Amino acid sequence: MTTKTKTLERNGTSKTTGNTSSWHRAFIANSEWPDKDEFLDVIYWARQALGIILGVIWALLPLKGFIGLLLFALVNAGVIYLYFSNFQNVDEEEYGGAWELTKEGFMTSFAGFLVTWIIIYSGLYYE
Amino acid sequence: MWTDTFLIVFISICTAFLGEGLTWLMVYRTDKYQKLKTEVEKQSKRLEKRKEAHGDSLDKQHKKKIEREEERLKNNNRDLSLVKMKSMFAIGFAFTALLSMFNSIFDGRVVAKLPFVPLGWIQGLSHRNLPGDDYTDCSFIFLYILCTMSIRQNIQKLLGFAPSRAASKQGNSLFGPAPGQFK
Repeated sequence: MTTKTKTLERNGTSKTTGNTSSWHRAFIANSEWPDKDEFLDVIYWARQALGIILGVIWALLPLKGFIGLLLFALVNAGVIYLYFSNFQNVDEEEYGGAWELTKEGFMTSFAGFLVTWIIIYSGLYYE
Repeated sequence: MWTDTFLIVFISICTAFLGEGLTWLMVYRTDKYQKLKTEVEKQSKRLEKRKEAHGDSLDKQHKKKIEREEERLKNNNRDLSLVKMKSMFAIGFAFTALLSMFNSIFDGRVVAKLPFVPLGWIQGLSHRNLPGDDYTDCSFIFLYILCTMSIRQNIQKLLGFAPSRAASKQGNSLFGPAPGQFK
């Protein structure tokens, strides 16, 4: 029982204090990230949002074919790379190299992108 | 097409919550699971720190200690997977039944148009039970899988049920990579 309350407390506090400040820091250049997981979470959620936004844009344009998929992968990886290397200036090696950061949450973001792209595209251009 | 696609998104949101709810009832809230999970997390973090500190040293004592801890972590991980396994099977069966029901509702219906032609081996999924040779037609199952992929993982992360990074880095599942395999 004691372990249960302990973990709940720990999770609860880390979430409430972590979220407000880490979101604030996410938009400030060169922020300090003492907790690696916090920064990885920011990357993860930024990716999800980016996936959905790109899905909407690709559908409205509309982009079609493999060029759309390829462009998504490039833009998604590129934007995140620019974010952590130029905006936040984090030391990639601390996170296990640039590749670890580039692939964080990529598949989920890709699935989210495909869903929005497909739904809006077929809704707009087909009956 | 809007109604079909939104219905599928809604179905996958519902099934994701249902799946997580059932797993919470059967696994996440049990004392055994929570104890094991905190233990695994602690061990993974400790192991990671120790590896970082003594990564390149050839000290036999340290190596032995690390190996012993890896062994303990592996055992705990196996226990954790076993606790999860039973309920996963039960939920798996329930969901297969649900999926076949939805499959028969949407049988032969083009639910969406793909803006690209999928690769050969994906066409089997995206064109399942659909008439004609237009491979940009999208079947229920393909859209459902994509929705579930994005929605379920995000819900898991939001609710805090996703496995921690430290644990998954050390290879936390029965089927995951062995500890240190990619070092």
